[in-house]
Amino acid sequence: MRYVSPYDPAARTPVAAAPRPESLAGRTVALLDISKNRGAEFLDRIERHLRERGAEVERYAKPLFSRPAAGELVERIAARAGLAVEGLAD
Amino acid sequence: MAPAFTLPSTTGAPVALADLLAAGSAVVMFVTDDCPTCELALRRLAAADAEVTVVCEAPAAAASRLAARTGFRGRMLSEPAPYETSRAYGIEAVPTTVAIAPGGDVTGTVVGWDAAALSGLAGVDLDGEAPARKPGCAAKSTYDAAQLAADAEAGDDPEAMFELGWTDGLPTVAPTPERVAAMLGGRDRAVALGPVPPGMGEATLERVAACAVLAGCRPQHFAVVEAAVRAMLVPGFNLHGQAVTTQPAGQIAVVNGPVRAAAGLNSRMGALGPGTRANATIGRALRLVVALTGEGMPGRLDRSTLGQAGKVGTCIAEDEERSPWPPLHVERGLAAGTSAVTLLAGDAPLSISEHRSRTPEELAAALGWGAATLWSPNWWPIGAATLFVICPEHADTLAAGGWSKADVRHAIWEAVQRPAGELRRGEFTDRVGEAADDDLVPKWDSPDDILLIVAGGEAGRFSAVFGPCVGMDWSPVTQEVRCDT
Repeated sequence: MRYVSPYDPAARTPVAAAPRPESLAGRTVALLDISKNRGAEFLDRIERHLRERGAEVERYAKPLFSRPAAGELVERIAARAGLAVEGLAD
Repeated sequence: MAPAFTLPSTTGAPVALADLLAAGSAVVMFVTDDCPTCELALRRLAAADAEVTVVCEAPAAAASRLAARTGFRGRMLSEPAPYETSRAYGIEAVPTTVAIAPGGDVTGTVVGWDAAALSGLAGVDLDGEAPARKPGCAAKSTYDAAQLAADAEAGDDPEAMFELGWTDGLPTVAPTPERVAAMLGGRDRAVALGPVPPGMGEATLERVAACAVLAGCRPQHFAVVEAAVRAMLVPGFNLHGQAVTTQPAGQIAVVNGPVRAAAGLNSRMGALGPGTRANATIGRALRLVVALTGEGMPGRLDRSTLGQAGKVGTCIAEDEERSPWPPLHVERGLAAGTSAVTLLAGDAPLSISEHRSRTPEELAAALGWGAATLWSPNWWPIGAATLFVICPEHADTLAAGGWSKADVRHAIWEAVQRPAGELRRGEFTDRVGEAADDDLVPKWDSPDDILLIVAGGEAGRFSAVFGPCVGMDWSPVTQEVRCDT
């Protein structure tokens, strides 16, 4: 029996995760503040740990936690950083 | 000899037994997606990082969910009905684990969970954690093959929809090509309404129609479903935030105009349900578009902490004929006589009983204070559009003094204000934090955040309010329902 699928196969194709880096030394890590309560505190702590491990850190923010980051911001992070951490909060 | 197979993998290209044996011997575990012992086995295999290939008697989506649920990151193959591979191996219970030598000989079989035996078979230490042994469940391959084929052929087996995961937990109607074509009613199936957050699957009319069939809609409901999906995808509605939030909010559709009668929507006794097919299925179709086409399935991309029963679907018709006021869609700028659906983001309804108030002032204050703890008791102003459903007896009392909807809104807004000092406990807004103790803070920023519709049975002074989705920067969206397309 054939059914009409409610799914969009194009959106279901999994995208492989990038390989985990061997080391953080010398790598640039983007920290994205999603603008939720106390998210910056969390990212401050992460930044300190990353710098102790030799990473360069760049901070970014999106204006509202409940909307996806703008494509332009994602591209900027992808172009400048090798790794990214997105900060949740509460 | 181990029977050959080639099965789809949940993580990539199909995998054949020959592929597995090319690298040496293989250990293959047969499981189903609804067997507690299989889940236990997969968790333990994952913890031990065991090199085991799993064949799951379920479609790929269900097999993927099983892998996600158990943390199993190894090779998971999917075998949907009629389970020919399991039959070929003579699997009667799951889990059953088979060791296969490079030449294809079966060198060992373990039925059920047996930590010691499986440790020997898989070459890893699975011992240590209780239980050491646990019997499994009947394999689906033991079900009658002819019956499975007949059910699938008939296209009417709700179990087939559960197998596919095309459900919100209740039985759904199989979206056969014939039913979807009837739902579309001649509309162009390829018309794209836009990507549906959070997974961004494109909502073609065909997929929306498939969701409407699954939900149990009739073709006369589809014009409302289509308009509601269009409204839901307007960026200002911010469906993305609603679809992934830990809040319980779902999408609420309010229907106005002649389409209410054409679709068979109930705006009177029991207006908030259950009991009427049109209300129940239109609301459900919307939610299935989010959960399936948009991949916003509760427990997966939908991260709602508790959820709530209204998220199965909420579609309300306003009783314009009984209302003393202009209907919602006319207030929102559409012409009287048009049909429309207004989308809001909100929680389950909170009933407000008020049988004693006899003046509009008393009643407006009672309704407003009934809503004063929405979201959180000290979160003032609430900062989002709040829908009140006013029952006919309450509407009569409110309108008796000649009050308009604007008067009612203003009275509710004005009545529900508190000194900031009393609100400075637990979770409170910046406005409360910055105000002087005696400054009055209202529950709503402005009367415009209060939406009113009339619905419900003639008897009983019970109105209701829907707590809004908060902090998502969403606004209600009203979309005309076009019945001629």
